Amino acid sequence: MFDQKIEAMIEQVQKPARYTGGEMNTAIKPWEAAEVRFAFCFPDTYEVAMSHLGMKILYGVINQQPWALCERVCMPWVDMKALMEKEGVPLFSLETRTPLNRFDVVGFTLQYEMSYSNILAMLKLGGIPLHTAERSDTDPIVCVGGPCAFNPEPLADFVDAVMIGDGEEMIVEFIAAVRAWKKSGEPREACLRRLAKIPGVYVPSFYEVTYHDDGTIASFTPTQPEAPATVRKRLVLDMDKAYYPTEIPVPYTEIVHDRIMLEIMRGCTRGCRFCEAGILYRPVRERSLERLMELARALEKSTGYEEISLSSLSSGDYTCLPELIRALMKEFREKRVSVSLPSLRIDSVLKDSLEETQQVKKSSLTFAPEAGTQRLRDVINKGVTEQDLVEKVTDAFQGGWSSVKLYFMIGLPTETYEDLDGIGHLAQVVNRAYFTVPKDQRARGLRVTCSASSFVPKPFTPFQWEPQDTQQQIKDKQAYLREVLRRIKGVNFNWHEPELSYLEACFSRGDRRLGKVLERAVEKGCILDGWSEQFRFDTWMDAFRECGLDPEWYAYRRRDKNEILPWDFIDAGVTKAFLWREKEKAERGEITPDCRQGCQGCGLRRFEGVCQG
Amino acid sequence: MRMLAVFCKGERLRHIGHLDLMRAMQRALRRSGLPVGYSKGFNPHILLTFASALSTGAWGRREIMDVTLEEEVSPDEFLAAMNAALPEDLRVLSARAIDDRHPALMAMVTAAEYTLTLTDTDTANALCACKDGFLGQEAIVTPRKTKSGVKDCDVKPLILELAMAGTQVRAKLCLTESTSCKPDMLLNAWCAYAGRPVPRYLVCRESLWGTDGEGRLQMLETL
Repeated sequence: MFDQKIEAMIEQVQKPARYTGGEMNTAIKPWEAAEVRFAFCFPDTYEVAMSHLGMKILYGVINQQPWALCERVCMPWVDMKALMEKEGVPLFSLETRTPLNRFDVVGFTLQYEMSYSNILAMLKLGGIPLHTAERSDTDPIVCVGGPCAFNPEPLADFVDAVMIGDGEEMIVEFIAAVRAWKKSGEPREACLRRLAKIPGVYVPSFYEVTYHDDGTIASFTPTQPEAPATVRKRLVLDMDKAYYPTEIPVPYTEIVHDRIMLEIMRGCTRGCRFCEAGILYRPVRERSLERLMELARALEKSTGYEEISLSSLSSGDYTCLPELIRALMKEFREKRVSVSLPSLRIDSVLKDSLEETQQVKKSSLTFAPEAGTQRLRDVINKGVTEQDLVEKVTDAFQGGWSSVKLYFMIGLPTETYEDLDGIGHLAQVVNRAYFTVPKDQRARGLRVTCSASSFVPKPFTPFQWEPQDTQQQIKDKQAYLREVLRRIKGVNFNWHEPELSYLEACFSRGDRRLGKVLERAVEKGCILDGWSEQFRFDTWMDAFRECGLDPEWYAYRRRDKNEILPWDFIDAGVTKAFLWREKEKAERGEITPDCRQGCQGCGLRRFEGVCQG
Repeated sequence: MRMLAVFCKGERLRHIGHLDLMRAMQRALRRSGLPVGYSKGFNPHILLTFASALSTGAWGRREIMDVTLEEEVSPDEFLAAMNAALPEDLRVLSARAIDDRHPALMAMVTAAEYTLTLTDTDTANALCACKDGFLGQEAIVTPRKTKSGVKDCDVKPLILELAMAGTQVRAKLCLTESTSCKPDMLLNAWCAYAGRPVPRYLVCRESLWGTDGEGRLQMLETL
């Protein structure tokens, strides 16, 4: 029987099923028998957390170890958080309702910068001292991983260890080190020393950062012998041998992505210059068709899901995509499982695949030209032409689709208002393509959704030195685009709040001094910033002011070539020289071909046997 | 063929709503490998109905579902396959094959028995003390929420049995498609009569009942 205090709280909140657990395939391992107890924390609500593939992989891989257990912890919604604080109930795991501070390791995944406030809020709610320096031998080891761990500096004050790169092997080494340390009876610091020796692990407290008068970094140096000067990201090379779960939790309530996600490959060879994931997950590593079919079969059987989606950065580039889709269709048609293809690229060869998809289910098609003109697409190295778009949407309209989403970014380096007109032009072109299909051959009700997100310069991209457009510039561009697109029939326009993108820019390229701002903002009540109704921009600005830091310096400043960037100590596989070369090519509007057509010297060849090319 | 199955919606799952529970059961049916029947038409769905929707917040000890299967399956096979495919907090307790012409279970339900566990002993004692007086009223009028607003309703004829032991109320209440008394209506009326605020309580629906040829109440699963 559960604690009635918690039960009574759950009765009072919105969406109580967020907190009850008990889903199919959720492991409940005996607490006492486990030598390492890991709390996998997702710094957002249950519905977002349960849609995340990485959590399912790591949850599975930890629970597979006979000596370890892993339970899930999510960020409570504001109503539940307030009740927990009022009643003095610590943040607890979904599986056994164990308080967060009773776990040996508390690990957060960093999927986006605007979840950082939730991490601090969860540590506080879980009864864990916020700063690494304040933690005692009995407090959990707090670690992070995921894409934003490639610049973990804003979290340096709060995090004991960072896992950089692919996690499925590293996390086992990590918990094995914690297990050995627990047996040794040594003090906490000895654990951090053990962890620092694991390739890919970074221990922020083992480094010292000094600054120039202008605020830029003067030096970034290890202070302990175990801490390497450069931390190289971890790579899983053989995706067929890599762990992948065959039993994943099946939530009761609707979540964002409620389906089987089949990760067909990791990495992308396209080299879009704004894209951080495209660099971080290099090189491309595919799973074999046989392995994918085996996983799909096992997952369908263990979950009963009605839908499989293919997951990767660029599924259209998967070598045997048509074969895979045909095989999945054939296998699952009888079981009434539909196959959906996200993140489609308009230059992928998939016309016949599209035709097969519609046999089961027809959803809206997504294309991402990213920029409105060929000039700007060349600058960002998005190798897509207007002709590609026309051909692909025409195919889709002929195939019976009538709903198309177009993704764009505004505020890209070198952008002018001509490029915005180009977005309107492309929307117009799509509109025209629809009407060229004879009326009796096309589906009714054309819907074109144009989404324009605001560009955020990210670490480890050729644009990592670039300033972000000011909020005013972004607002002006959004207003202009709204006017341009309003005149086109059947077109909807979506945009992002510039304030959120601005803060994202501060934290994505921030340094460890931002920890103060984060802490201050959370003290002032900032949480769940990714939810627009919770986002309090002015409070964030107050927090910056009170800490004496200038957000504009982080977001709007052009970095010098020789500046030490906060994430320079990480070797993400791609060299800084390559990124600079790409930046210069961008300025000249020169494209860089897909590296499957020839090595571009990005630096990954330094890893032994990683590149297929 | 059709299978009538009795299942338990565990206490842990009491906040799972009716539609979510339906979906969980459909996915369990898919996992079970049983030859589940699908509806015809553009969007085929699994042929599964629950005899009665259980409110969010309540758990159910003997809930009833009706599943259509495309091939003959023995009740034992059904039971084993389903329990292998269900999470710990959802269990199929028994199953029995029913005739294809068996009436829709939803139309057969006439009553439900509940256990209401009160968290406040003083209120429980007060209710216990005034039980006879409460039931002896000419009418038991309590507000009832409907789509068109709140209306007063006499639940006296809808309370079929009422017993109390310790902090637990055992009540058999009328439950049909047209008239029913929900546990909250009973407790609201009773606490009002006792002059006490309604305490926090847990609802367990123990069983569903129907009426046999002679007009007697019987467990629905036996009809």
